[in-house]
This record gives sequence, C-alpha cells and structure tokens, in this order.
Amino acid sequence: MYLLRLALASLGNRRFTAWLTVFAIALSVCLLLAVERVRTEARASFANTISGTDLIVGARSGSVNLLLYSVFRIGNATNNIRWESFEHFADHRQVKWAIPISLGDSHRGYRVMGTSPAYFEHYRYARSQPLQLSSGRAFADDPFEVVLGAEVAKALNYQLNQELVLAHGVATISLVKHDDKPFKVVGILKRTGTPVDRTLHISLAGMEALHVDWQNGMPARGAAKVSAEQARAMDLQPKQITAVMLGLKSKIATFSLQREINEFRGEPLLAILPGVALQELWSLMGTAEKALFVVSLFVVLTGLIGMLTAILTSLNERRREMAILRSVGARPWHIASLLIVEAFALALAGVLLGLLLLYLGIAGAQGYVQANYGLYLPLNLPTRYEWTLLGAILSAALLMGCVPAWRAYRQSLADGLSIRL
Amino acid sequence: MSAALIHLSNLGFAWPGQPELLDIDSFTLQRGESLFLKGPSGSGKTTLLGLLGGVQKPNRGSIRLLDQDLSTLSASARDRFRVDHTGYIFQQFNLLPFLSVRENVELPCHFSKLRASRAVQRHGSVTKATNALLAHLGLHQPELLQRRAGDLSIGQQQRVAAARALIGQPELVIADEPTSALDADAREAFLELLFAECREAGSSLLFVSHDQSLARLFDRSLSLAELNKATRLAEI
Repeated sequence: MYLLRLALASLGNRRFTAWLTVFAIALSVCLLLAVERVRTEARASFANTISGTDLIVGARSGSVNLLLYSVFRIGNATNNIRWESFEHFADHRQVKWAIPISLGDSHRGYRVMGTSPAYFEHYRYARSQPLQLSSGRAFADDPFEVVLGAEVAKALNYQLNQELVLAHGVATISLVKHDDKPFKVVGILKRTGTPVDRTLHISLAGMEALHVDWQNGMPARGAAKVSAEQARAMDLQPKQITAVMLGLKSKIATFSLQREINEFRGEPLLAILPGVALQELWSLMGTAEKALFVVSLFVVLTGLIGMLTAILTSLNERRREMAILRSVGARPWHIASLLIVEAFALALAGVLLGLLLLYLGIAGAQGYVQANYGLYLPLNLPTRYEWTLLGAILSAALLMGCVPAWRAYRQSLADGLSIRL
Repeated sequence: MSAALIHLSNLGFAWPGQPELLDIDSFTLQRGESLFLKGPSGSGKTTLLGLLGGVQKPNRGSIRLLDQDLSTLSASARDRFRVDHTGYIFQQFNLLPFLSVRENVELPCHFSKLRASRAVQRHGSVTKATNALLAHLGLHQPELLQRRAGDLSIGQQQRVAAARALIGQPELVIADEPTSALDADAREAFLELLFAECREAGSSLLFVSHDQSLARLFDRSLSLAELNKATRLAEI
C-alpha cells in the first residue's frame, strides 16, 4: 500500500509527462472502444434490418443490389415487376403473405415507399418484432395519406395531420415536386433502428395517384393535369411495382419457390433469401471493419510504447530517488514494484479517462450519428468483450512495466546507496 | 555482546575486472562513538559505505555489524539489517522532494518494523517521534511538516535528513559529507545538533568528510587513505 503512495507521489512530481502519457493512452483506448462499438452496432443493426421475410423478389439483377434497394433504400431498381407477376406469386399456394413495395420518390432526402397494409401487418425486424405506431394509424383508403418513419418525423419535426409534398426521384437537389398532391401525416412509427425509420410510407394507390398524369417521365401541363380530387376518383390500381417481400407457409418450401420464381416465364425475376444476401453484403464490408479494428489496436500499442518510453527516460534522472529509497530500507524488488505500479497506474488512469472520453463522445455524437448514419450507439456499460479488451490493455501495460522494473532493479543493485550527481 | 559496533577484519574488495580498491586489516567503531573518517575522493569511501550498508559483499575478510557477519546474510536480509540498524545522511538532495517533510522523516519506519516499534516505544507514536526529532533539530513550525521537502532550504533539508536517519534509534548513523553544502557557521551548528541527537538515541556516528577542520569535534579521527592499504600502494 505504501508503495502505491510512493509511486503516485513520484508520478505527481512528474505530472506533466504523466498526464501526457495518460492522455495518449486514453485517446487510444477511446478510439479502440469507439471502433469496437461502432463495429458491433453496425453488424447488429445490419443483421437486425429484416427478419421473418423468407424471400425478396425483384427484377432480375444482382442479389446484393436487390437487397440494397428493397431493404436499405440504397440505389435504385434496374427494372420493375408487373402487377400480374405480383398477383401470381401472392396467390401461390406456398405463400402466406406478400408485401408489394414501390420505390422511386423521396421527401427531403428520405425515400418514399409505396406499399400495402400487409406491410404493417407482416413486416418484421430484429428478433421478429412487428412495426408499431407511436401515434396515429396506418394509411387507409384515402390515397394521400402517409405514415412516417420515426427518424423522418423527428428530424423534420412533423406532427400528425401535417401536410407534406413529395418529390419525384431520389436525388437530393432540383427535384420535380409533386406539389399538386400534398400528403397528410396519419401515423408515425416507433423507432426500429432500421431503414424503416428513414422511410415515408404511402399506399400503392397514393404512389399511383402521384404519377397518374405523368407522361414520359414528365409531369403533365395545363389541361392534362389531374388534380388530387380527380385522382381520388380514378382507378389507382398500380401496373407495376419495384419488389415483393414474401412470407411462406413453410420454410421448407423456400428453395423450391425461389427456383420457381427465378424460372418464371412471365418476366425475368430474381428471388433472394434476405439472410444469405445480408451475409454476402456484410462480407464485402467486413474487411474494412477488421482493418479498422487492427489499426486501432496498433494505436493502443503506440500509446503503451509511449508510456514505456516515458518511464524508461525518467529512470536515469530518478537514480537519486532510487538510491534514497534504498538507503531508507527499500529492497530492489520494492524499486521494481514501484515501476510496475507506476506503469499500471498510468494505464489504469488512461483506460478510465478513455472510457470517460468514450461516454462523453457517445453522449455528444449519439444524436448526430443516428440521424446521419442510422446507427444507434448505446450508452451502456462496457460489454464483456470490451472488459476483456480493457483487461488485455492493462495486462499489456503490466507486462511492459516489467521492462523498466527490470532495468531499475539492475540499476539499484549496481548503484546501491551511492547518489550520482 | 562486544562493545564494538562495527568490526572489519582483513577486508578486501575489488569491482569485477579491476584492481583491489579496498584492503583494510582492521577497523573498529565502538558503540556510542563518533568517528571522523577523512576520505578524499578516490579513497574508496563510497565503496566502503556500500559494504557497510550491505549493498556489496567483500571479496574476502569479514564485516561485523552488531556481531552479525554481513557476508553470511542473503541480499534481502542485508537490506533489512541495514534499515533496522543504520540511518543515512548524504551530501545533499537527501530527501524525496515530492513527499512532505513528515513523510520523508517517516520513510524508514515503513520499511523497518524494528525502527517503527522503537519510535513508538520511545515517543508513543511514529508521528510524535517525528515531531520530537524535528523540534530538537530546530524545525518547530507545524506547517513546515506538511510542506514539500523540495521547497525547503538546503540547511533545513539536511536537518530533515538527520531526523530521518535518527528516527527509531538505529545503532549506527552514517553521514557522508552531510555538511559540504552548508556554510561554515551552519556546519558546526548542524554537527552540534547531530551529536546531541546521536547521544540521545545512543547511536554511533560514522562521519565521512574531506573537511579536516571538523575532525576536532569528534571522539576520534581516522584517515581512510591510511587505513586502506590498497590506495597507499597505488600512491607509491
């Protein structure tokens, strides 16, 4: 115990370098944990994006591409599916439920998705969690009703019954607005931590109504324009959609139905298993994620080597301190333990400060990261894996402390009580 | 138990690969005696103090401290024996500057149970022993005890070092040029205090210095150069 007091007092005497060392370790620890947390959360939220859906069907392209636009709302479909094809498979004897989705419009950077009420009933994310409304209701018969994802409502500060105008296309600037047909917010979903939060949901009829008077990708002008009122009276049955999510009566049928869809004669279709495609996609990003982790490990190592350097450089000027301690009865192993305690204290202070920085950082950036990257960084206590990492860092510091300890041990044996000026 | 506190006989020491540095036939320090040992640099002074402290082992001969032959003890037993029975005062910068004056004085009591218990026996507690010693050495002010040792003047630091050497009444106090950083007046005053405290604690004082003018204040005076045959030979 007294050795601890001596080590801390001696460190206090060199507090400038000591704090620098602690700070270097703290930053490296903070970086490591932040990378680890982002990594874990990214992977978890990734895997949690969709569940319960057995097959996703789209126009024939790549499986990752289909997954990206249908689930992650990234990129665009190369082609659409005819409504007849949707009906064909929705009525298939193996299919329990089918969710049609239709993409292509946006609202202030958020994607708009046309779908059917089946979406609210059957879509599942994370561990088979259904979508829940935090307020309002799902869209009903009126085509100009919209249900907002949690993040859309929060970021744009939309309330129930507010009216909003959708934009054609998904680019963020110079869009053609569907300003003749405003939508009314009828419901806001609870947060899911998935791309659903960043989506505006409208009915397929609403999607159809928006484009009912469009010709060749351009809005109609003058007399050809159809007002919202007129559109309500029209037949808004869509002719094509972007993709379909299917839930099957029996998982066993998944592969046979997948083959059947892929060989469908009506038009070229592609059916994918979401889990398989998710894995495929993650393996693309996994390398970058691992590289980041390795880099941050090296940063920690650099921090610890900095500590080692600081302690080793101090040894020479502390020969007097050692000699005095020897003269009042400290044995060489006391001197060695002092240095190990010192290394451990520096590393421990670094780890604690690093944790503090991490939590301050998460608390400060949580909202921003969620709003911009859809990644929820929880402010929870370190996980067992993180404790293991921290433990490993402290062990490494202890191990490194043995180097100056050994040198001081040799040095104090050789110097004895003599003090060199 | 004999009256001799230290007894060296037929002592020889050389650093590995070097010619013999110390060669002493016989040397004795009595209990309670104060001895001035004149030791110019190069006379093997530091090495002799290292041997007396049990930091090094002699190549031949014996060092007996309190009738205990140091060379028969293990390294850690010698370390323990040293702190139990010897207090040290060095030239200057004796103290750990980052500890308080009190903590500096009490250092030996953390490493030696014997000295701590003696301090308790005599003064009631280690804290009281520290207060008493420092007061005797002219450091009365209570707030001084809490100050960082590094902030004191050299003269004050040496007195704190003396208090540290004397706490727990070790049988032997070894002072290695403790007055060289002090001016002439302060030197004698410091020595008077040191003598008085050694007498009170019953400690022998082995005082090593090259300043011959102080020799008259001691019971006995010796020259290490004459004692040590190795340097005598080298000089011839």
